Amino acid sequence: MTDHPEDPPVEPFPAASPFPPLEGEAPADPPSDWIETANAHDLPTRHPLVPEPLAALGRFAFPPGPPPDEEGVAARDRRWTSHVILLVTVFLLVFNAASIQNWSRQQAPGWVTSTVQQLSDVWCAQIAQLGADQPRQTVRDAYEGLHALRFPGQTPARKGED
Amino acid sequence: MLFPTLAFGVFFLFVYFASWSLDRENGRRKLFLLLASWFFYAQWDWRFVGLLIGSAVMNWAVAAMIARKPVDGEGRRIGTAWLVGLGVAANLLILGFFKYYGFFAVQMGELLTRFGWERDLPLLQVVLPVGISFFTFQGISYVVDVNRGRTPAAKSLLDVMLLMSFFPHLVAGPIVRASDLLPQFDRVPRLTKEMAIHGLLLIAWGLFKKTVIASELSIRLVDPVFFDPSAHSGLDIAAAVYGYAVQIYCDFSAYSDMAIGIAALLGYSFPRNFDQPYRANSMQSFWRRWHISLSSWLRDYLYVPLGGGRKGLIMSCVNVMITMLLGGLWHGAAWTFVAWGGLHGAAQVVERLGRSVFGERKVVPHWLGVLITFHIVCLGWILFRAESFGMAMDVLEGLGRAGPVLLTTPFLLLLIVGGLAMHWLPPRMIEGVAERLKPAPALTVAVLIGVAILLVEAVRPDGVAPFIYFQF
Repeated sequence: MTDHPEDPPVEPFPAASPFPPLEGEAPADPPSDWIETANAHDLPTRHPLVPEPLAALGRFAFPPGPPPDEEGVAARDRRWTSHVILLVTVFLLVFNAASIQNWSRQQAPGWVTSTVQQLSDVWCAQIAQLGADQPRQTVRDAYEGLHALRFPGQTPARKGED
Repeated sequence: MLFPTLAFGVFFLFVYFASWSLDRENGRRKLFLLLASWFFYAQWDWRFVGLLIGSAVMNWAVAAMIARKPVDGEGRRIGTAWLVGLGVAANLLILGFFKYYGFFAVQMGELLTRFGWERDLPLLQVVLPVGISFFTFQGISYVVDVNRGRTPAAKSLLDVMLLMSFFPHLVAGPIVRASDLLPQFDRVPRLTKEMAIHGLLLIAWGLFKKTVIASELSIRLVDPVFFDPSAHSGLDIAAAVYGYAVQIYCDFSAYSDMAIGIAALLGYSFPRNFDQPYRANSMQSFWRRWHISLSSWLRDYLYVPLGGGRKGLIMSCVNVMITMLLGGLWHGAAWTFVAWGGLHGAAQVVERLGRSVFGERKVVPHWLGVLITFHIVCLGWILFRAESFGMAMDVLEGLGRAGPVLLTTPFLLLLIVGGLAMHWLPPRMIEGVAERLKPAPALTVAVLIGVAILLVEAVRPDGVAPFIYFQF
């Protein structure tokens, strides 16, 4: 049934092409982007940790700030340096506590040096319980062994000399 | 307050954080650094802080007066000769009084006695202010550079004071010129990651060179041998001479490295002062690698004004000799230092004459040039280290003495070989390592630096001797 009963019935498979006829030769296909040497196993197979829609939502909710200007980069590098310096200080306070103790013992007696000495004595004892003094002591022992080496025929080093 | 001490570490931590907290106002930051520098200097002798201030005020005033003079068509200032003369003379007067008064008074007395005119010249026990040779040379270069138009006069007295008093270079250089540092004072400096890592690595490397290599060699080998050369065998004396060559390099270059590193952490850039000097294959090359800030100073403010190489071969040789003799005297008020300068000057004269005969042809293989240069330098170090010519002769005579090796141990030999071998490391190794560490997180860099300092601290001897160049 059709809307217009006077039209001829529509053939299910029209014999003639509905497109106008081609004039001349058809142009060649563009070069294939198929890479002969490509291996399907080379293709990335890792899926993003966060699904794309979630990442997009994250970017929408918390849009990244503009790239830092020169001032911002300088401030960031200063913070980074300050972190490094603080971390080095803490590292040395833990693993090199004996240096403070040695230093305080070499100073002329006074309120400051005696306070530092007492604090460093307590600190060294506490740190030693955790074994944090061991790396320094191990290096020191190895170094003293190196010190004690002698050429053949030389007098051996006395204990405590090196 | 020496760099490799806990006291300086605490001082530096305070200065670092306080100075960067003042980064919003450059003037206040500079004022703080100036006060910190005076505090640092006062740890030796607070009275000489006044000398430092007086010297800075004088140089600032002279340069300001020079800067007001008109300029001719060729860019030279008119009518400034007397001002430059005044500035240079005033600086030399300060240096001469504190450093050379006693020396010249004794020499004059002996000379008068020889001619039969014996006089009692007033002998003063003048205390030598630490670093006076460095800050007076800096003052001279500032006045002369302003006159030559190489650098504009400082915008404020504060800048000149900080230029001359800035604590990283104050007591033992490098001699940082106004043209290098004044432009950096114009605004709050930028601290980059590269600068920070480079600075931290230089400090750790300098600590190692000073407190391990230089201190061990000094205490266990060099000082005992030079104290009484006649009591030691030739092998021990030879080891002590090579040991001193390594010691003085590690001592002085360590100070320069730490000074450059400390300045870098505060955001300022100092010029390089050493460039693997024992790799030099000629004396001329040696002076382009050793104490570069002094050798370039002597070149620009002494050798070139004397005529340099512009007046023919003979005059250039004379000028080199004069420059090196005065360079020797700059190091200390003693004839041994003058002789040391004379030896270096004579070696350079021979090289110049050789070049004039053979041209650019390679007469001596590179390796032989390095070996000869190193041994001339070592010969010079004997004069430099000995307290008198007699002692220097004792050392030279003792080199041929047979006897048991008592002081030189495998460990000390390792330090000497290591101290020399470090000259054949890649030339810009620290910069290369800093570049590679740039992307690393702060924790990684901190652990690396912390471990490096811990290793040094674990092995260093107790206490630390002053740097050799403090006496100059």
